[in-house]
Amino acid sequence: MARLSYPLDNRRFVGMMFLTPALLYILLLVGFPFLLAIAFGFSDVTVGNTDLNFVGFQNYLAVWENDIFRQVFETTIRFTLISQVFILIFANILAVIFTQNFTGKWFARFIFILPWATPVSLAMIGWLWMLDTKYSPIDYLLLQTGFLGPNGILSNNRNLFWLATPDLSQISVIFVQVWRMTPLATVILMAGLSSIPTDILDQAEVDGSRFMRTLLQIKLPLILPIMVIALLFSMITMFGDMTVVYVLTRGGPVDYTRVLGLYSFQVGIEGGNLAQGAAISLFAFPLLLAMAIFMLRTASRAEVQ
Amino acid sequence: MNARMSIVQLSGLKKYFDSVRAVDGVDLAIDQGEFLVILGPSGCGKTTLMRMIAGLEKPTAGHIEIGGEDVTDLPPRKRGVSMVFQSYALYPHMNVFNNIAFPLRAQRRELKFDKRAIRERVESTARVLEIDMLLDRRPRQLSGGQRQRVAIARAMVTQPAVLLLDEPLSNLDAKLRANARDELKDFQRSSNITAIFVTHDQIEAMGLGDRIVVMSEGKIQQIGSPQSIYDDPANEFVATFLGSPSMNILSADRFRFGFRPEHFLPKTLHDNPENSRIFHYFVKRVEYLGSDRLVYGYVHGHDNDLTLAKVPSNVRVSLDIESDYEFAVHNRDIKFFDNVSGQRIEQQSLAQAK
Amino acid sequence: MGLLSWVLHNFWALLVLLFLALVALRIAWRIHKYGATRAEFAYVLRRSPFYLVVLTFCFFAAAPFLIMFMHSFKTDGDLYRRPQPFVFRQDPTLEHLDALFNNTAYLEFIRNSVVVGIAVVIITLVLSLPAAYALARLTGRWGERAGMLMFLVYLVPPTLLFIPMFRIVVLLGLKDDPMSLIVVYPSFTVPFSMWLLSGFFKAVPPELEEAALVDGYNRVEAFLRVVLPLSLPGIISTIVFTFTLTLHEFIYGLVFIADTSQRTLSVGVPTELILGDVYFWQPLLAAALIIAIPVGLAYNLFLDSLVQGFTMGAVKG
Repeated sequence: MARLSYPLDNRRFVGMMFLTPALLYILLLVGFPFLLAIAFGFSDVTVGNTDLNFVGFQNYLAVWENDIFRQVFETTIRFTLISQVFILIFANILAVIFTQNFTGKWFARFIFILPWATPVSLAMIGWLWMLDTKYSPIDYLLLQTGFLGPNGILSNNRNLFWLATPDLSQISVIFVQVWRMTPLATVILMAGLSSIPTDILDQAEVDGSRFMRTLLQIKLPLILPIMVIALLFSMITMFGDMTVVYVLTRGGPVDYTRVLGLYSFQVGIEGGNLAQGAAISLFAFPLLLAMAIFMLRTASRAEVQ
Repeated sequence: MNARMSIVQLSGLKKYFDSVRAVDGVDLAIDQGEFLVILGPSGCGKTTLMRMIAGLEKPTAGHIEIGGEDVTDLPPRKRGVSMVFQSYALYPHMNVFNNIAFPLRAQRRELKFDKRAIRERVESTARVLEIDMLLDRRPRQLSGGQRQRVAIARAMVTQPAVLLLDEPLSNLDAKLRANARDELKDFQRSSNITAIFVTHDQIEAMGLGDRIVVMSEGKIQQIGSPQSIYDDPANEFVATFLGSPSMNILSADRFRFGFRPEHFLPKTLHDNPENSRIFHYFVKRVEYLGSDRLVYGYVHGHDNDLTLAKVPSNVRVSLDIESDYEFAVHNRDIKFFDNVSGQRIEQQSLAQAK
Repeated sequence: MGLLSWVLHNFWALLVLLFLALVALRIAWRIHKYGATRAEFAYVLRRSPFYLVVLTFCFFAAAPFLIMFMHSFKTDGDLYRRPQPFVFRQDPTLEHLDALFNNTAYLEFIRNSVVVGIAVVIITLVLSLPAAYALARLTGRWGERAGMLMFLVYLVPPTLLFIPMFRIVVLLGLKDDPMSLIVVYPSFTVPFSMWLLSGFFKAVPPELEEAALVDGYNRVEAFLRVVLPLSLPGIISTIVFTFTLTLHEFIYGLVFIADTSQRTLSVGVPTELILGDVYFWQPLLAAALIIAIPVGLAYNLFLDSLVQGFTMGAVKG
């Protein structure tokens, strides 16, 4: 009896025993589909035809030569990069605000977390109304203040058609992405800021450093690695997202807001061409992997402690 | 006259954190060029007191004057103080040069330093502390002793009126610590800066301080030279806090009295026993410590108070366990304390009361 | 209804009044406490730019939710004829809320989401509690690598995997069955909670487990009897965030389940409450808001704990 329980005292054995189920589950659930995705990319599988007939690089070539795909790819990268700039700026400001003490902080934080806490697809319903072609409350405000309507500064029309013109639809999607992703980046940066030793900050104060100097020369350099992690998180989340455009625009007008995830869904599931859908989403993978490796390297190299 | 010479003046200083009285009414004058040590157990309020002097903590009540100016409501940068933290708090992402230059750059408006002046000042300060060859290094590439010097250089570079040190030696290992203590003291003497040093280590305090402030429960218990505090404690707390092993305290009917273990010796070792008080001492256990023998036992009539004696090993008196001996303490080495307040009572007043 | 109607009619005025009243109350309280009236007003003035920034951000964050709230109570006539989104010209109505709960599958969506969420939380805890502990304490270098792998897996977006996953779900005969989501969701909740939990476990002093080992427990018992109880707050916050992750998920839910009565909230509401190009706006907006508020409160309540777990996971990991 006693002998039976000896392995339970062994660090390595218990470690393996504890880790293996989770690892197996994940490998099975992520690794296998991932390999399958690659296999699909090389086959002619459709929703109706379940046989795997391998057709070589045909799908990838077809996808690559497809003009829509190229535009979609470009749009995805553009949306991701532009939104990250704003997300980082706002998240830094907000993280500094919310690591300070002030009256009403709890409530302010609740309000400000709402965009992130709300399931994306439901929050998008709110924005669908806010940006509605006819009833948009934003348009109404602009109309009342003279920016819209006859002799309006922005347009003579009564509406701006937020989701229906090429430029505005892209701006709207980017704005909404920034709106919903900023809290996540903020929370990660808050974790970074609150892990700075108080001694360092006290020292800066005794050394005569004012708010801005402490922020720019002490706090921000010290949380740089965590900032990179925050960026990685929000970039990859955004790159793989299709929910926002699915609810708001379905990729329209024309293809202006069609992103990779949505396109692969439309081709693979709605269009029934699983093989090509898989090929489309796989194009994202090398990019994501390179991004992740590069940023994790940067983060660990910038390690200052 | 003392007040005129003092550079830091604390009056009625209090700091309450909600219901906790961290500092509870401190009055203290610190002289120019003095090395003042604030000594006390953890939680006695010594660090809070120092942080109030630095301007990191706002007093609940009371005033702080530095260099004759009331600085109670001023931020740290307007006070002419600098501080060395227990962790040294070196900025990990800056090299040594930038660490030392940081206060100069931060206070360039007050100090009016341009780039070249900053470089010169940093280099000269680094030379004084013999770290001028380390200027390009990052803090993590430095040894503990080097880090301490960088922290002191950074604190000294603005030539502050007062240098505050918050247990800066406690991160060094024992061997380095003695050395660092000497260096710190030499440096303070030669630069003639006013230093306030917070510690819970009495050996450090005795070795460094021109004067020692003993604190407990937010209040100052005694101020004085290391010797006067040791030999002439103001109350029972100071008497038992200083010294290792600590002072024996025995109860009498209307007061308590105490004597240090090293003064409690076999009667035969006393030159003139008529000036001494004799105790019947039952030896329970003897520890041999090399230079001394530490004796545990009980004084007759005080069976509940474990009483220690520290007998030098070189005196050849045999001490057997479970045996009775006659021990004696010189009268001047017996201190009397009030039963209730714990304050010292002079022998004469006791004699008169009888 | 009378009170609600009055509140909604004067919504914006009440909002501003409430805010001003709170500010006044706060100032009054501080004056009462510190006594210095003039210094207090100088303080308020000095702080006001800061609060202005906070208010601006709050306004942008809250705007859609305020609109959602108001519009849930608008009659069709008020909503669509000559849009005037910020006031009520007709009396507010509860008919749309009534319709949402009684004429739509909203309650079924909620039920499905809760069932899926609870099942996934259980699977996630069973798998990730021991695994996170192994990462935090028991394994050396290869454990570190496994942790890194998990982190990378968490970063693989669902858009990369949903097509082969869909095939597998069909093959397993789980299409249109919430069971499919219960099987698939741990693929992202397990890495997430492993990472968070290992942060909390690292915060438990190792001496406590060592004491338990010396006292006669083996490692597994030490984990169950010492580490788990001490990390309870962290575990609760992990449960909350795991549950909300499943609530948020959209793509798998959309792809795997086509049957209305089996859909979850995040998929059901935007797909089933819109018929073609007919949008039932008031129920839609209400349906979104009703979920948003409690989730937002839960997030805010457990945010500090999340930040702490993240810090420990990131700093010491």
